[in-house]
Amino acid sequence: MSLLQIAEPGQSTAPHQHRLSAGIDLGTTNSLVATVRSGEAKALADSQGQVLLPSIVHFGAAQTLVGIAAQAKQSIDPLNTLSSIKRLMGRGVEDIKQLGDVLPYDFSNDNSESKVPRIKTAGGEVSAVEVSAEILKSLARRAEDSLGGDLSGVVITVPAYFDDAQRQATRDAATLAGLNVFRLLNEPTAAAVAYGLDQQNDGLIAVYDLGGGTFDISILRLNKGVFEVLATGGDSSLGGDDMDHAIAEWILSQADFKQMDASLSRQLMTAARRAKEYLTENDTAPIEIQYGDLNWQGNLSRAQFDELVQALVKKTISACRRAIRDAGVDKTEIVEVVMVGGSTRVPLVNELVGEFFGKKPMSDLDPDQVVAIGAAIQADILAGNKPDATMLLLDVLPLSLGIETMGGLSEKIISRNTAIPVARAQEFTTFKDGQTSMAIHVVQGERELVSDCRSLARFELRGFPPMTAGSARIRVTYQVDADGLMSVIAEEKTSGVTADIIVKPSYGLTDGEIETMLRASMEHARDDIAARMQKEQQVEARRVVEAIDSALASDGKLLLTATELEAIKKARDGLESQIEIASTDELKQAIKLVEKTSETYVAKRMNASVKQVLEGRQIDEVYIK
Amino acid sequence: MQVLDFSKNYFELFDLEPGFVVDKTRLHNNQQMLQSACHPDRYVNASDQDKRLSLQQASLINEAYQTLSSPVKRARYLLELNGLELNDETETTSDMTFLMEQLELREQLDDCPNQPDPLASCEQIEGKLKFRAQQLADEFVENFEAGKFELARMISRKMQFIHRIQEQLHELQFKLEDELA
Repeated sequence: MSLLQIAEPGQSTAPHQHRLSAGIDLGTTNSLVATVRSGEAKALADSQGQVLLPSIVHFGAAQTLVGIAAQAKQSIDPLNTLSSIKRLMGRGVEDIKQLGDVLPYDFSNDNSESKVPRIKTAGGEVSAVEVSAEILKSLARRAEDSLGGDLSGVVITVPAYFDDAQRQATRDAATLAGLNVFRLLNEPTAAAVAYGLDQQNDGLIAVYDLGGGTFDISILRLNKGVFEVLATGGDSSLGGDDMDHAIAEWILSQADFKQMDASLSRQLMTAARRAKEYLTENDTAPIEIQYGDLNWQGNLSRAQFDELVQALVKKTISACRRAIRDAGVDKTEIVEVVMVGGSTRVPLVNELVGEFFGKKPMSDLDPDQVVAIGAAIQADILAGNKPDATMLLLDVLPLSLGIETMGGLSEKIISRNTAIPVARAQEFTTFKDGQTSMAIHVVQGERELVSDCRSLARFELRGFPPMTAGSARIRVTYQVDADGLMSVIAEEKTSGVTADIIVKPSYGLTDGEIETMLRASMEHARDDIAARMQKEQQVEARRVVEAIDSALASDGKLLLTATELEAIKKARDGLESQIEIASTDELKQAIKLVEKTSETYVAKRMNASVKQVLEGRQIDEVYIK
Repeated sequence: MQVLDFSKNYFELFDLEPGFVVDKTRLHNNQQMLQSACHPDRYVNASDQDKRLSLQQASLINEAYQTLSSPVKRARYLLELNGLELNDETETTSDMTFLMEQLELREQLDDCPNQPDPLASCEQIEGKLKFRAQQLADEFVENFEAGKFELARMISRKMQFIHRIQEQLHELQFKLEDELA
């Protein structure tokens, strides 16, 4: 097996070689992939010529279907056909109760171990991460088929307003799909890149992004190829889905359906979406529902529709107002308003956004594709294909990070709209004599009470030296990286001991769960084997060190000269120092060296034991272990 | 690849004269220039060690930029550079006139929603606060440059108070605008 000859993605490639990369927009309703070819970014179509892949996965007993094939199963097999799964990313068992009527799935009740909701399907229980991984795999395959080679890496877009848990879930899905993620990119920032606004004019722009299930508003300052996000806001569970839902409710209030089931609910949502889309170009939409012996026909006017969704659109305008305030700019300074996301096709949205900003919103590029195209441009640069590119994207943290203090209050550590990456440190002390551990609860959100914020993780710091109360100085550093993901480092400063951190993600998958999923995936078998081989070699190395030690302790001085003894000790120490850090092969070499150095010693011991046997001793007393 | 010298202070980092008055354009341009060299996007294919270093450097640039961009933070950073220990928790002001002014401003703020034109009242207070912030900034510069650090520290504390009221005002303005829309 030539395991060690497999190059890591991103390494050992010739410098002039064009490295394949792609941008993926993992959407609530639709997903798509784009790539840069001959200097031009384009969305890629499947073999049927379709660019948009419906974000729907069907888990049947025999096979898993993604996209249009899965969509076809939606009415016939609604419980095994999962859509709008993005709404569950990074969400906990508690959250799904609120989404129950939007996502009528059969959730598993067996959540004793995991905090991640699992959905029962004919193809087994799945989490949102696994469903998203299927969509990502399908898009990556499309890109690789189209480009004729392996992707060196991808940029995956996420709503700017996604919190840490939602971002982490997206990263986990990519890991599960076997993709190398260059970066998670915020959707509005991606759209700004796609418009290439930096080349035309420096100044302030607003990106209004209303998708199927999420809403973002970002205020950016453009300056010579640098996209600097000043503020971002939004709602990670507000979108076109909710408009469909409002229409479906309206139909229900008009028609008199005696009973409700998953299939009828699905049909209502589909009819609602069609009506919404129809109203973009027309004043009245005819609606017809046929279900069993029930038949309902009706008309929805544009005015009625506007009324149904007015509150929802106003909510987005309020978020725009806040983002402008947070950015510390004046509305009149904004030179361009860019519209992104399929739901911006709704006339009322365009109207109210235009009215609020006092200028006609820009929607020259296909609002469904613009995010993926921006991501593709970024991916091409990150892959290293444009060494002279000056483009730089500077983003912000969408929601404040805080920790729980006495009385269940949240103390802000890093406030929202702080430029990322960012690191903040905090010092704590112990309140009991001999205390060696400490618990920290990290939350995300703007509210005062921890219970109103989103719980991200509980950290348990362990292993700092026992001291008298108040004398330990534990420095905890919160680091948010360029993906908007948080990590924590803790150190006891007076002793310099780095504390062990045990992370309990409140909603995400634990490392153990991800590992289990990975093991189930054949694509990653080789990583597992490599890791296991290293573990085995480490065990072997420890065994050799122990054997040498016990042998030397019993007869080392008796059988060896000072020089021989020193040589063996040196080889033994060399091996021991490498156990934790060396690669599998290096360890093998170090073990061999110890064995070679102690060859004569082993021979001498053999002779000695033979002698002892001849003297009438029992063989098991002198057996060389 | 290390670009930054971690022992430099924030002013040195951005190649600025240390002092309360900063060249904002230069600060902004130099910040973007440094980020262009250090940002993690430039090290996507680098070794783990270089990635970590890039993360640390980009974080430092952001922290330094944020500190120097805000008058309140800048003032306090200058005092720290001059060896003054600042502790937000225990510091209070005992200037009675200033405390009275605080009280008055807060009362006015609380009363804004009840005024005939709440937004106009907010704007009035906004103007007042801006004027006060500028006054305090001038006082800070005067004392700081004269080496009167203890006095400068007391003024920086007042600057912080005013800043906090400004934040509360902005929150109120947002709420009022939202209600009126």
